[in-house]
Amino acid sequence: MLEPVMFTGGLYKHDLVVELVEDLGGYVLQKNVTQSEVILLILIPSEDKSVLETLIKELRGELVRAPLAGTEVAVVTPTLAIHHLPHTACDIAEYLRRHGSKTNMMGLARGVGREIAQINEYETALINEHDAAVFIFGNFRECIRKKESLYRNITVPVVVTGGPEMAKSELPYAFEYVPSIGRVAHRARKATEIGTLDHIVESVGRALDKTRADITKDPLTTSPPRVMDAVREQVPDVEYSYSPLPIALNLGGVRVKLPYERYKDAVKAVTFDEGVTLGEIATIRPSHMKDYILVRILPASETGYVF
Amino acid sequence: MDPMEVFKIVVTGQEDFGAKKYRELIMDILQDLGLIRSIGRLYVYVDIMEPVFAIYGLLRTGIPPLTVRDVGDVLKTEGGYQVKINDEEHMSDLLKILWGRYGRERVEQPARDIVIIASDTDPSGLTVADLETEFLQDLTDGLVRVAPEGFRNRRNEMNKDSFFFIAAEETLTPELIAKTKEKIREMQNA
Repeated sequence: MLEPVMFTGGLYKHDLVVELVEDLGGYVLQKNVTQSEVILLILIPSEDKSVLETLIKELRGELVRAPLAGTEVAVVTPTLAIHHLPHTACDIAEYLRRHGSKTNMMGLARGVGREIAQINEYETALINEHDAAVFIFGNFRECIRKKESLYRNITVPVVVTGGPEMAKSELPYAFEYVPSIGRVAHRARKATEIGTLDHIVESVGRALDKTRADITKDPLTTSPPRVMDAVREQVPDVEYSYSPLPIALNLGGVRVKLPYERYKDAVKAVTFDEGVTLGEIATIRPSHMKDYILVRILPASETGYVF
Repeated sequence: MDPMEVFKIVVTGQEDFGAKKYRELIMDILQDLGLIRSIGRLYVYVDIMEPVFAIYGLLRTGIPPLTVRDVGDVLKTEGGYQVKINDEEHMSDLLKILWGRYGRERVEQPARDIVIIASDTDPSGLTVADLETEFLQDLTDGLVRVAPEGFRNRRNEMNKDSFFFIAAEETLTPELIAKTKEKIREMQNA
């Protein structure tokens, strides 16, 4: 089984880590270089983790488990106005990132208010491309209850956050409800506030585990990291994409950040060692995010094999 | 401890948490904008079923207008006056006032913090900025930030010593405004 971990350390000799991961059959999901420091998000076979730990100890780096690595989470606020940003939304998004997830922040066009809150089809479809969503609501119980209409049609698990204590039964469409983080006008710095952020991460972790468990019932034809590796190798233009993460991983596929019209055929033609092409084992369609390419790997029940 | 003499907040329904949090939130925002010391009493009324959000506040008045004397030292020199600026924040306002009063050709700025005026009239008493107007602008900004975001129909009644701000999702009717004012009056008398 592949285990998600995060390496933080000096830039010097970090390529030894990358090489070792590749030799062990793992994947480097993301590489962030900040001046003389580098952060790598890695998937490593769990039985070989000790080898990597030994090397990282030699390099004086740090290796921590990143339970959300390889997933994409949407952090949704009613709008992108000063009422929700920067404190609550950025704190939550940043905290999820520190645990390895790729986080996208979204403000709805007309998500505000109690009676007037709305979400449109495009926004729903965009959120559905993620693996989980966190909806950030305010301090009033009645508003949180009413705003259920915003996430009722969302198919991925939705973690709702808000101020007051509420029973889960009051929000039947939410995966979980995390209280005590409503609208605040200061940064999360107290131990209790950080604790609430931890609760959100745990809750998102549980939501993702549920999706993972659903996938194991009908496994994917191949794993998303393998698709990522193959695309990176056979569509070299992806390295010239301006996005910090040119290929974003989801639990059920990948998002390739290249224009759909120009590159869809190249992505479809990506061939694996087993002789099959990506077009045969996955649906390739335009993503709702810009004009990117969305790859969704078909389950074994549709293709008839797993590799 | 609250820096205000009175700070009452009433939220209808089962929203004790919301009331507590809005108290913190209002303090945070007013503190951020540096307004808190100018407000003496504050009454907040929220009815989440209506929904309506209202704030009534009494101001600690008496912010005198800022004069040239307040922003720098005025010295009498040969053939005019020299102002040595201590507070650069209002520099552009000062220059605008001096240009308007004496004309551009009579006002010279040889260094960043020195202004020389070629005139016999003392500039000390000229008003540079009306801080009260600035304060009221900041206060309006603060109130818009405090009110829940969806409450886009707003009305703001301000005068020299008090303000009344009301925001709602639906159209503000005279009846709603009168009813809310009545509620706030009850809070004041309680």
